Amino acid sequence: MKLTRRKFALLGTTVLATSLLLGKSPAVAQENQTLVIAVPSDPVGIDPAVNRAEPIGSEIILNIFDTLVAWTPPSFAELEGRLAQSWVISADGKSFDFKLREGVKFTDGTAFNAEAVKFSLERTRALNPYVEATLGLIETIDVKGEFDLTITLSRPFPAFLSILAQPQSAIVSPSAVAALGEGFSAKPVGTGPFILRDFTESTRVVLDANPEYFRGAPKLSRLMYRIIPEASTRRLELESGGIDMIQQSGQLSAVPAEEMTAFANNLDIQILQSPSQIIRQLEFNNAATEGPYADIRVRQAIAHAIDYDGLLSGIFGGTADRVYGPLTSNSWAYDPAVEALAPKYDPAKAKALLAEADIDPATLSTKLYGFQGALWGAVATFVQANLADIGINVEIAQTEFPSLRALQTAGEFQLLLDGRQPWYNDPDAHITIGYLSSLRDTAMTFRMPADEQRDALILSAQGEADVTKRRELYQEIQRDIVSYVPGAYLFSPKLIIFARANVQGLVVNSAPPLNEYWSVYKG
Amino acid sequence: MTRYLLRRLIALIPVLALVLVMVFSLVRFIPGDPAMTLLGPGATDAQIAALRAQMNLDQPLWQQFTSYVTGLVQGDFGQSLKSGKPVLEEILQRLPATLEISIAAVLLAIVVGIPLGVVSAARANSLPDHALRIVALMGVSMPAFLLALILQLIFSTWLNVLPVSGRISSYYFFDEVTGFMLIDAYLSGEKGAVLSALSHMMLPVCVLAAFLAATLSRFIRSSMLETLDEDFIRTAKAKGLSRHQVIYTHALRNSLLPAVTVVGLKFAEMLGGAILTETVFSWPGIGRYMFEAISNRDYPVIQGATLVFALMFMLVTVLVDLLYALLDPRVRRKLK
Repeated sequence: MKLTRRKFALLGTTVLATSLLLGKSPAVAQENQTLVIAVPSDPVGIDPAVNRAEPIGSEIILNIFDTLVAWTPPSFAELEGRLAQSWVISADGKSFDFKLREGVKFTDGTAFNAEAVKFSLERTRALNPYVEATLGLIETIDVKGEFDLTITLSRPFPAFLSILAQPQSAIVSPSAVAALGEGFSAKPVGTGPFILRDFTESTRVVLDANPEYFRGAPKLSRLMYRIIPEASTRRLELESGGIDMIQQSGQLSAVPAEEMTAFANNLDIQILQSPSQIIRQLEFNNAATEGPYADIRVRQAIAHAIDYDGLLSGIFGGTADRVYGPLTSNSWAYDPAVEALAPKYDPAKAKALLAEADIDPATLSTKLYGFQGALWGAVATFVQANLADIGINVEIAQTEFPSLRALQTAGEFQLLLDGRQPWYNDPDAHITIGYLSSLRDTAMTFRMPADEQRDALILSAQGEADVTKRRELYQEIQRDIVSYVPGAYLFSPKLIIFARANVQGLVVNSAPPLNEYWSVYKG
Repeated sequence: MTRYLLRRLIALIPVLALVLVMVFSLVRFIPGDPAMTLLGPGATDAQIAALRAQMNLDQPLWQQFTSYVTGLVQGDFGQSLKSGKPVLEEILQRLPATLEISIAAVLLAIVVGIPLGVVSAARANSLPDHALRIVALMGVSMPAFLLALILQLIFSTWLNVLPVSGRISSYYFFDEVTGFMLIDAYLSGEKGAVLSALSHMMLPVCVLAAFLAATLSRFIRSSMLETLDEDFIRTAKAKGLSRHQVIYTHALRNSLLPAVTVVGLKFAEMLGGAILTETVFSWPGIGRYMFEAISNRDYPVIQGATLVFALMFMLVTVLVDLLYALLDPRVRRKLK
């Protein structure tokens, strides 16, 4: 029995010794050639025909496929040709003539040509309900030659090129689809800089470099997405060097200021920031034609009660930007005139407006709905304190996403903290879905009441082919909306990526926040 | 013995049925519409309605339930709402990862917990006893995720000797054969792969084992103290046996039997702990699968995973009963 005790002691020592000796996993070749990115969940739909703009799957698509056109870094304000060499848009804005790049091959060896483009876009349009409103506008795709084709739309839609830069419009290998059938979604084949090597659910997605890539082989030989659901685990992994990069997760979360400070003091970690086109707002139930909030003075009073700059400095510590109206200042259609029109922080004016409307602020007490999470909690508390200053007491109700969405589309709220994230780089993505009154009962809208003039303006801006005229129309719409005060525009969070200091060459895409890793390398 | 086993197995059926009913109805009290969650913020109402119909969510509850049970009997656990894949396939794919750390944790808990309990009892109320009791109390009461975070901070961030999460270093790449990373790493023949897999297992196994080891040592201590008061111990001492013989041969053997029950019962709580442990260590097992399913409202997955957890627990209970019959002559005699 004495022996057993010794054995136990021996075992304990061995366990301790092994753990110390093992150290971290021994470095294996290629460490410098592999970029490990942490993401919070499995990608959904790494096939353009099934992708519903889920961010992780969308980003992977953009790295294993190419689109006809893409936004040009670093400003992402202009489109450049990818698989398309050049294009001409007809005067009526309905047809697009593309001259395609020659000599490109899919990673299965199939040659890229106009037929592949026609096949891909038609396949996605037929299979993916998500693109009904966009690729659904395609009337015909005429293949005019091996590398020439014309896409004709049923009505003018200038944002169409922007749609063609989206992951859903990526070009797939027709022969791989023919060979794999439905299995293509698990083994997608494109022309992109990387090739899908392995996807183990809950664990990782491995992409290997495509040495034959037409823009030149990527600098990395492997790209690995590790699926790490816990934010604290992602942070520890980055600090200990287990991963190279953390992507800002999801559409609704942002990074708390404390985290920024912790990383900012760490020399091994760099913080990449880029302004986004995401908007967060305190919105009213604008569809309600009765009740106190139907009175514009009440809406103005609330918008004047919010300390916008205090919110940015106090809660975001520089990780968010001001936003004054329905478009962010980095949109090409942004109208700086809204900055003067937008209500400013002025509690005295807010009180005066309520007095003028003859409304006792105590009667405006309501629930302030918002998303879950610490950051949204902090925003809600800040707004709550601002409203209390003018005598309005609100109760914060942080609600799970599906329930909140249900409340919003049903109009069962008076004050709600919400957000809008455009999924393609065009003002249309904010304006039409957000403010067209016929869409008010769908998700992510401001529930705007019917207004013939405004609705007509929105639709004409959506269809205007001339860029200058289109910008003017959108500027008019912005001024109109800001004057209506459909909510208080709170902030626009920056896109933030945390990476190890040796990660180089990444340009953060602003809208949508999907990055390409072709140019990235580890120094 | 066979009849006894059969009886035990039959008795499990109503328990299983109850689990099914409870899981099925509980899940439907959670607020939120799964179709809306799945489609995300950009979905139109028509898309949401179509998905609801496709998932039978528009049918009455009892109909959803009967079609679920009928499917189960045929080995059909339904399809994950998120991935669209069969739930059973996804569970089987993740089961080895959970088994790997659970088995290791039980073994570690036994190897550590029992000796600590014995030392505590043999030197009751001494300094080492008090120290061990405090440690055990912490082990029992500390939430798994907190312990996990503390261990990650100490061993990964500060000492930098163990990896934070995952099952193997990102730089190894080989195909899965058995699903057990240790075995697959060995089979791959890659240099260092087994060591990498081992070092990745260490922290999650310790976290899982902590609760069980602490419970076990506390239990062994009190049960030993009780046994040490018995007449036969006095007899053993009186006939001149050494202190070690008294403690290990007479007292420990008699205290171990109820410990089997404790291990069996606490195994279930350990599986509960696996949900958080696997999430914190991003260990791709059933616990994390369930955690993600709950946040995604993935009904078929929640049901399937709960069912598997319940099955595992029930199997362990039967195993404990069988072990009892094997180990304790009194129980064996009763069966006859």
